Amino acid sequence: MSHTITRRSLLLALTGILAGSTRTSTGAARRQNAQMIDIQVERFSFTPSEFRVKAGVPVEIRLRSDDTDHGFYILGTDVNITIPKRGKGVATVTFVPPSAGQYVFECSKLCGAGHGFMRGTLIAE
Amino acid sequence: MTPQNCSPLVVWGCLCVAWLAPADAAAQTAQASAPERTTAISGYMDFHFNKHELEDARLDFHRFVLLITHRFSDRIRFVSELELEHALVEGLEKAGELELEQAYVDFLLSRRFNVRAGMLLMPVGIINERHEPPIYYGVERPFVDTVIIPTTWFEVGVGVHGEVGRGWRYRGFIASPLNAREFSAEEGLQGGRQKGADTNIGRPATTGRLEYVGIRGLTVGASFWTGRSGFEFRPRFDVPVKLGEADVRYSRDRLELRGQFAQVAISNAGDLNDAMGRAVGVDPNVASALRGFYGEAGYRVISGASYGDVGLFARYENFDTQFRMPGGYLPLREFDRDALVFGVTYWPDADIALKADYSAVRSQNSTITAPNSFNLGLGWWF
Repeated sequence: MSHTITRRSLLLALTGILAGSTRTSTGAARRQNAQMIDIQVERFSFTPSEFRVKAGVPVEIRLRSDDTDHGFYILGTDVNITIPKRGKGVATVTFVPPSAGQYVFECSKLCGAGHGFMRGTLIAE
Repeated sequence: MTPQNCSPLVVWGCLCVAWLAPADAAAQTAQASAPERTTAISGYMDFHFNKHELEDARLDFHRFVLLITHRFSDRIRFVSELELEHALVEGLEKAGELELEQAYVDFLLSRRFNVRAGMLLMPVGIINERHEPPIYYGVERPFVDTVIIPTTWFEVGVGVHGEVGRGWRYRGFIASPLNAREFSAEEGLQGGRQKGADTNIGRPATTGRLEYVGIRGLTVGASFWTGRSGFEFRPRFDVPVKLGEADVRYSRDRLELRGQFAQVAISNAGDLNDAMGRAVGVDPNVASALRGFYGEAGYRVISGASYGDVGLFARYENFDTQFRMPGGYLPLREFDRDALVFGVTYWPDADIALKADYSAVRSQNSTITAPNSFNLGLGWWF
């Protein structure tokens, strides 16, 4: 079990580094408390569009599209990834909210007439 | 506040106050690097083959649409949508149209409150804001979204939008009204769109939508539009128009379900018909109420295959542009119609749709029948 957790923690840390997360925790205890959230994406919404996480703890965000490819950009950070089209897989990014507060995210790839409505909020507590 | 006393200055004042106020996003972005300015181009195309009963088949490059957006900053965006319909623009009635369907600047102030100004899509119904060909079944848009809700419905205006939490979203706009002079018995409000071309804004229309998207795959929405459309007949009389609409859409894995109901009330339709009859010699027989609804079910019988997805669908529509008539007028029963549309869509890619459908249309008039049609379509988004 502990072996599994260690590998998972390492994977999370590596993902965070590769994704260019703005804050990467170095504490092993924090990595073990990693959080995960699955988001379904379609024109023109994220579901859920609001979720709560712990500040300072890595959150693994997994995004799957039901139609075209979309983007996932957390405003004010360098988290900005492409979500592949329906049936082409899941995009995963790890983000460490540096402090409590609200982090707005949005679709960063033009996806249609209602693209401007595709926004959501990550609430770090 | 009524549309008559809500001046652009009031809206601009709200914008300035909100702009100066601290926002959640600002607090979180203070330490971040400045966002890059970016410009993006995208678009969609719609190519149709239509064969109506008793008519020769037609090939039509129905829509060529380019979207251009620009990000000035995380807070300020420009979005535009330029559409060429029917491939060719000439000065005559049967030619195509070049339409600026969207061109607005979004001032993103906070999650709950944002301001948008320019050429706006009216936030009414399913299709008007979601009309990329790969994301709806059927070659042509639903009849209800054509003659009851006049898609693509766009006008110049200003308004607000945002998300109030737990999946609830809203938008509310003040925009130029419809022109009642162009209403008709067959196509309802369709001809009345001013489309942002030197529009009359003497008495602005108001429109809004409340939408719930908090459950995965489910969208439930309700919209309204209200305006005074008789500006060409004032001060003799006015033509207040009210539209109410409700819709639901559910998609999960292979299944997609849709339903929509819309009703329009046109006041003083009798005066409008009388004035039009005197002016042009033909009474347009505009109704005092229009009503339409539809239900649609689609299912991807093949999903996730290496060569793409295949979906089957069926849609029942009922739409009556002569639902209620003003005193002294009889309804033209040929415009009380229903339709069964069924067909297949093949997606070789999530952004490309090859469609085939058959549309069986009936009217309540036994001598003037609505034509059935067989349709093929190729639509793509890029």
